[in-house]
Amino acid sequence: MNAIVLRNVVKRFRKQTIRRHHTTFKSELLGWLLRRKKERASELIPALEGVDLEIPRGKTVGVIGRNGSGKSTLLKLITGIYSPTGGTVEVNGRISALLDLGAGFHPDFSGRENILINGIILGMSRAEVKARMDLIIEFAELGDFIDEPVRTYSSGMYMRLAFAVATHVDPDILLIDEILAVGDEHFAKKSMAKMSEFKKSGRTIVLVTHDLGTVEKWCDLTAWIDGGKVRLYGDPAFVVEQYRQAVATAEQQAADRGKVELPPPGASLPAREVPQPTFGPKVGAPRRYGTYFLEIERARLLNGRGADAAEFDTEDPMEIAIDFVAKEPTEEVDFFIEIARADGTSVYATNTGYESVRAPRLSGRGVVRVFISRLGLIQGAYHLNVAAKSRAGAVYDLHRELYPFSVRSKLPDVGFTRPPHRWEFDAAEGAPSLRAGAGS
Amino acid sequence: MVRNLRELYQYRALLLSLTLRELKARYRGSVLGFLWTFLNPTLHMLVYALLFKVVLRQEVPHFLYFMFVGLLPWICFSTSVNGGASAISDRRDLLTKVRFPAQVLPATVVLTNLCNYFFSLPLMFALGAAYGIWPSWHAVAFVPVLALQVLFTLALTYVLSALNVAFRDLQHIVANLMMLAFFLTPVLWPLSRLPERVQQAELLANPMAALVTSYQAIFYEHRLPALEPLLAVAGISVVLLWVASAIFERRREEFAELI
Repeated sequence: MNAIVLRNVVKRFRKQTIRRHHTTFKSELLGWLLRRKKERASELIPALEGVDLEIPRGKTVGVIGRNGSGKSTLLKLITGIYSPTGGTVEVNGRISALLDLGAGFHPDFSGRENILINGIILGMSRAEVKARMDLIIEFAELGDFIDEPVRTYSSGMYMRLAFAVATHVDPDILLIDEILAVGDEHFAKKSMAKMSEFKKSGRTIVLVTHDLGTVEKWCDLTAWIDGGKVRLYGDPAFVVEQYRQAVATAEQQAADRGKVELPPPGASLPAREVPQPTFGPKVGAPRRYGTYFLEIERARLLNGRGADAAEFDTEDPMEIAIDFVAKEPTEEVDFFIEIARADGTSVYATNTGYESVRAPRLSGRGVVRVFISRLGLIQGAYHLNVAAKSRAGAVYDLHRELYPFSVRSKLPDVGFTRPPHRWEFDAAEGAPSLRAGAGS
Repeated sequence: MVRNLRELYQYRALLLSLTLRELKARYRGSVLGFLWTFLNPTLHMLVYALLFKVVLRQEVPHFLYFMFVGLLPWICFSTSVNGGASAISDRRDLLTKVRFPAQVLPATVVLTNLCNYFFSLPLMFALGAAYGIWPSWHAVAFVPVLALQVLFTLALTYVLSALNVAFRDLQHIVANLMMLAFFLTPVLWPLSRLPERVQQAELLANPMAALVTSYQAIFYEHRLPALEPLLAVAGISVVLLWVASAIFERRREEFAELI
């Protein structure tokens, strides 16, 4: 069950450039009241351009991306502060958004009074706040300052109080925008412990942050928003690595042109020239994960006679059959395969997107088959990895190192693959050429 | 319209807390604190008293009391409308960070001023007592008249606060119009000053005139207020509330983007 489902969400803002309007007050007023659609495309600023994202219940999902890429807009759409220009946002559960610490804090009020009002603003009832008052005060560690007006607080104290209230709201889904780095070392640790508690109690957390270390350490899934779209969604370590490389590439390109700036905020980072690996890093990541919007039941390895096999010869053909169930009809799906050696080294990876193979409309059970006419791998132990992802990059289902197979060979050759080849000598004396070949 | 009010009821905890906060915050930090709730209208009254009693020689018996009966609800109305006009556009900090129905904000302003009105009522009764005027049984009409005023104020404040999000000029226009409306409303002068023909028109066209004269009828003239003008106010209020609810319904998601 998904806690949050976004389908093709588009959000555009009307440009509000400060300039003289040539329209009259009356026409503006009438236009606004009658909701006249006079917006031209040039007057709209795109913030999100078709975001598909599924956030499974109980997962912690990090959202990363450059400034202006649409992360905060995404959170505000999920919260319901903004409504989408297009697409749908579905939220299952009580939501609490920490988009700003201390919303509604009044400087002249004491910490205690502000806890009450802030708690109610965040969606608690008066009784709930009162019941948790002592816990919150204890957590904030403000001592006697709790009865002093908030304007006398240091900024660290202010943040601590705000964070303490915010984390005691007790929602099903917690949205956090860039606020984990609160207070000193000690309080930061405490905040982290609080977040772990949230995680352990099976609540869904969506975290927008620039702290990539936190994402790698804390999140189960990570979405990289770039230029208003989900550029990648999946294993945190992998997504973060890709993001870092893209930033580095952009900086390099900028440096090459003698500039320091990256592309303007909101624009996407340049794509990397090296083809993207299709599967995550081999250590630490789960062997199977995804949102299971489209579920891969299993992948099968078949030999030339169409029978299940776990051992192949280098020269054998191979058929990969992926049994899937599409829970809802979809066309926007790409299938990924990868053959990796037992140590995790990728030997070959591809997907339907790269090869411009468009899936037909899939619904219910089905099988995707990949036919390899000649395996060509040298002898050794291998894994087949498979995945299904949305066009937008959301991982529907990823299986890694679940399908081992071995390759035997008559030859003890080394390397990765055995390309079809032959040997030939051009002998000086015009003797008949000696030919020896393999795999032709 | 029903949905609009139902949401307001759903979020009553927030409404009450914000109101309480406004009430507490208003005079926090000042030496006299809560006393200002009484001092403000008193000083207000003294200024007008000086002008009308001493300079203009107003010939109304118990003029101070007469004025007070109308002035207090007027202050309640005008501060609500003036403050309410920018209630949504000033609360960027809340609206862009937390999801809640925007109508809570203007409603908070109205409720806060209603409370202030209640707090200043003892002052009015004390002044009446000083003149030897005591409330009569006609005071039962006070509650429905006040309820009507709250409805009217709420509806007007809704409309203004919603429009002000897109057209900030409105709050300044409103402030000046309120000044004009004050002198067009029989607060400082009795309605009988107007020519006979105009009186009825004034009562039907100016809801505040209808309300203020009702208060004067109840507390000053000791009679029941006339019904027709109040029905007109009720009609106007319902129409305004309906318009306001329609605007909120259509525009609510734009508030967060425009402010």
